[in-house]
Amino acid sequence: MKDSRSLDVLIVDDEPTRADALFEALNALGHKVVCHLSDSSGLCDQVSERSPDIVIIDMDSPNRDTLESMAAMSQSNPRPIVFFAEKANDRDSISAAINAGVSAYIADGLQTDRVKAIMDTAIAQFDAFHSLRTELEKAKIQLSERKVVEKAKGMLMKHQGCDEEQAYKTLRKLAMDRSQKLVEVAQSVIDILELTGLPKTGKR
Amino acid sequence: MSIAAPEKTALKLGFVPLLDCAPLVIAREKGFFQNEGLNVVLSRESSWANIRDKVSFGLLDGAQMLSPMPLASTLGLGSQSTPMITSLALSMNGNAVTLSAELYRALSPQLRDRPNAAEVGNALKQWIASVRTKPVFATVFPYSCQHYQLRYWLTASGIDPDQDVTLIAVPPTKMVSTMRDHLIDGYCAGEPWNTLAESGAVGKVAVTGYQIWSDSIEKVFAVTQRWADSHPNTHTALIRALVAACEWLSHSCNHAEALDLLRLPPYLDQSVIPLCQTSETHPIMQSFYGSDVNLPSLSHAHLMLEQMERWGQWKGGDRTQIAQQVYRPDLYAEALAQAPSQQLA
Repeated sequence: MKDSRSLDVLIVDDEPTRADALFEALNALGHKVVCHLSDSSGLCDQVSERSPDIVIIDMDSPNRDTLESMAAMSQSNPRPIVFFAEKANDRDSISAAINAGVSAYIADGLQTDRVKAIMDTAIAQFDAFHSLRTELEKAKIQLSERKVVEKAKGMLMKHQGCDEEQAYKTLRKLAMDRSQKLVEVAQSVIDILELTGLPKTGKR
Repeated sequence: MSIAAPEKTALKLGFVPLLDCAPLVIAREKGFFQNEGLNVVLSRESSWANIRDKVSFGLLDGAQMLSPMPLASTLGLGSQSTPMITSLALSMNGNAVTLSAELYRALSPQLRDRPNAAEVGNALKQWIASVRTKPVFATVFPYSCQHYQLRYWLTASGIDPDQDVTLIAVPPTKMVSTMRDHLIDGYCAGEPWNTLAESGAVGKVAVTGYQIWSDSIEKVFAVTQRWADSHPNTHTALIRALVAACEWLSHSCNHAEALDLLRLPPYLDQSVIPLCQTSETHPIMQSFYGSDVNLPSLSHAHLMLEQMERWGQWKGGDRTQIAQQVYRPDLYAEALAQAPSQQLA
């Protein structure tokens, strides 16, 4: 019987910086943590083999539906998992998680207070990462690349009528879906929008 | 009859990049939302689970959903129960079962030209018996017509979906690449992911959703019951705008422009580019417009509830009451009965 306070946590996140930070934070709390980059396949196998107590997953990951399917078929799995909102009774903490972009799947029957402590840590890490991300991006990408990304963002904002945050998220999602770099996606967004001539310029 | 002003004009609606998000994209790009005085931002979502959660918790006003989803949400299947309603079906048909090129080749000696669903199913059953391996089939989401159609077709072919095959879940954007990597032998998904597998010579459309369930509602537009109660005028304005977009989409002269618009980021992005040639042997019969298409029919709700019960997702209950609570053809009729919106010059 393992230490009752220590849980097996699987983190599914495409952002290595954020995944590392959450890994450290949960490790420090005494949990056994494994990270999984959501892009690679084999998530199903990893979940059934390791049967983690809790899976923390970036809300933008398409693999959420994979976990939903495993949850729905969980009668046949040795360890039934459920979406954490089924367990959490108060809507506020679920809203906080969704706003931070965190979702989780937990083994059925786990005590809610233990899950809540992990969720709070995850939410805090996601929030901290969010405010750091702009800085990180700036440091990471070259000036010329940054100009391309900024231009694509501006064109998307104009064409979609959305704010900067959503335009940036759109680029990130496209990059994730296509398995491409942000700057490559940004360039193709500029090309397509210029080709169709819908927004005449990228400037606001 | 005059139209009451919408309670809210700045709206955020969610979509998943599939061909049948077209009504939302067209309503925005061709100004049908604007004609109703609505300023709509479309949010591309990476999963159906996200769509459900963001609509449930008010981060989205409404969204494109798989037709069983508002029922599953109301029943609290796979999540906390959030009562949802749909007053508009966005599309009919559009799914298909794609088999890997290798598997289709193995079955083809037993298939005549343009085989029907039973013939392909029979060939698959014999192949499974002869090779004694379990083929791996993928679907996207547990509460979806794709999932139910795949199970229905396998069962009708004498193949037990829980014993004779391995069912896994794969995100739609990864279906073709997962098949190319030989990790799955077949899948049931919405367009464009079947024709894309075919045009890339990765797989072959073997059976269409239309062949399994002819004329089945595929995607709906759904909101929470609470949102509908507090925004009745906005809700009817959205329905009218989306029906106008569906009507626009029904004219073949608009199809080239529709594909151009869908190609824009962040809609279907590059995935729609090779869609010019669709499967000739297996017409997918996707349609967007007509009273039989757009009316959220109670019989479809019944069929979905039956499937949930049949496959052990739902323990069962009063189907009629739940169907009537979630599928609202009355609100659809009410929205269309109001005076058509004024066209902006």
